[in-house]
Amino acid sequence: MSSIGPTEVRHVAALSALEVPEADLPQLVAQLQRIVAMVEQLNEVPSAGDVPPFVAGPAAAALRDDRIAPEPLAHPLGQTAPGFAEGFFAVPRHTAMEES
Amino acid sequence: MIPRDVARETGRRLAEADAKGLNATLHWSQALLDREAERLETLQANLPLYGLPVAVKDNIVTAEQPTTCASRILEGYVSPYTATAVARLRDAGAMVACKANLDEFAMGSSTENSAFGRVQHPLDPARVPGGSSGGSAALVAAGVVPAALGSETGGSVRQPAAFCGIVGVKPTYGRVSRYGLVAFGSSLDCISVFGRTVADAAKVLGVMSGHDPLDATSARRPALPLTPTHRSDLAGLRIGLPREYFPADLDAGIRAGLDRTIAVVKALGAEVVEVSLPHTKYAVPTYYIIAPAEAASNLARYDGVRYGLRRMSHADDVQGMYRQTRGEGFGPEVRRRILVGTYVLSAGYYDAYYGKAQQVRALLARDFDRAFAGGVDLLLTPTTPTPAFKAGDKVSDPVAMYYSDIFVCGISLAGLPALSLPVGRSEGLPVGAQLIAPAFEEDRMLSVAQVLERTLDGAAEVR
Repeated sequence: MSSIGPTEVRHVAALSALEVPEADLPQLVAQLQRIVAMVEQLNEVPSAGDVPPFVAGPAAAALRDDRIAPEPLAHPLGQTAPGFAEGFFAVPRHTAMEES
Repeated sequence: MIPRDVARETGRRLAEADAKGLNATLHWSQALLDREAERLETLQANLPLYGLPVAVKDNIVTAEQPTTCASRILEGYVSPYTATAVARLRDAGAMVACKANLDEFAMGSSTENSAFGRVQHPLDPARVPGGSSGGSAALVAAGVVPAALGSETGGSVRQPAAFCGIVGVKPTYGRVSRYGLVAFGSSLDCISVFGRTVADAAKVLGVMSGHDPLDATSARRPALPLTPTHRSDLAGLRIGLPREYFPADLDAGIRAGLDRTIAVVKALGAEVVEVSLPHTKYAVPTYYIIAPAEAASNLARYDGVRYGLRRMSHADDVQGMYRQTRGEGFGPEVRRRILVGTYVLSAGYYDAYYGKAQQVRALLARDFDRAFAGGVDLLLTPTTPTPAFKAGDKVSDPVAMYYSDIFVCGISLAGLPALSLPVGRSEGLPVGAQLIAPAFEEDRMLSVAQVLERTLDGAAEVR
């Protein structure tokens, strides 16, 4: 159905934000060609237009109640910041604000 | 045994396994085990898993230890929360023994793809324990822990269970919460369990199961019973043997193990019938479009900004930092799957690959539906086409490696529950038989497995 060569691998690597060293390219091209040839066996299967699509899990995601509840955290929120006081994250005072 | 003694004994066994070079653990410490024992001393001793040490595959997050997915890109990462499945086990009295080694991001069938070295088979160091949950399987098989958590995307618990001669159970998709399971293939991923016995695996699965509001894909169903329904025999059951799972070139030892199992099934009063799952040969190609496509999307989050590793020594801009971090942080198999996934999803190819694979997935699921609708209660197959293979045998040929999952990945695509049970040994290597049930019929499958376990000697030579 399609041919996959160094140009295609470089293009897909760019789309994947994945650095691929040039030295690795020949082996990678050969392996991807084998994998693509393997998955193209699916072309032998006649089109299955009458079969409803497979849905993994519940047909519809169950919605939670529209209610605010505390998020379960393993550690208290205050432990995730250098400073936490009276329900607020403590940050360094801005110099310009101090002067005004 | 009191929790403090369990913690000490577990630490001793973990240290012994590490010293032997099993390489099945990624993180554990005696101090953490002792803390788990102290926690248990504040709990009721009649809890269902009280004092049970459990190994946890290192792609399931825990707030007390790092979670690396056996990848350089997550080295040193510690999650701020604990997975629901692990939290339920701890609430039921279990102690987390260690984080177990795996194929990087659960991608592999031999646990040779870990960034932290391969796991050895407990019976033969030259062989692989299977994968991707090979660390968890090896720890249970070596007698270090009685049970362990793994994860399944396309057979990653049943295949290593078969290779190592232990019980491995994959529940129905949605039966166990995935909150805290690092995402690989979201339409396939299931937290699954290993046990030395069906009873141990069933108890751990029962405790983990049940709806979780933190996972929108978890099924709104009650938890499974902690003990499978008791059966004394298999009378009244009809067991299907899918002819596509017994090819002419099936390994002779595997065939002998299955012949023995089928004879026992008949002797216990079940009717055995041949059935057909005609799209079976397309399971591996379908899986290797859908799983990489989902993986390419799920692994986009590892970019050098939010988690662990950052590499930018020769990057000119932020895009270069992403590329270098991901290129150096991911191992070869993960890089291959990301490339395949991006390729099959890219413009001009999406319908031909991903669209087609979705259609064939529906046909694979319909094959199972028809077999069960035809009056079959369970299906019985080999779990793997061969016993455990030698390390290095399939590393340079990814497609050969993929086909070692030929009997397990179709069930994952259909979202069904299945288990692997040890049914004997061939030249010293374990043989696994697989039972497959209709969706949410785990109890039927586990109760039949328990009868077979009582009758068959899983450690006896089959030839």
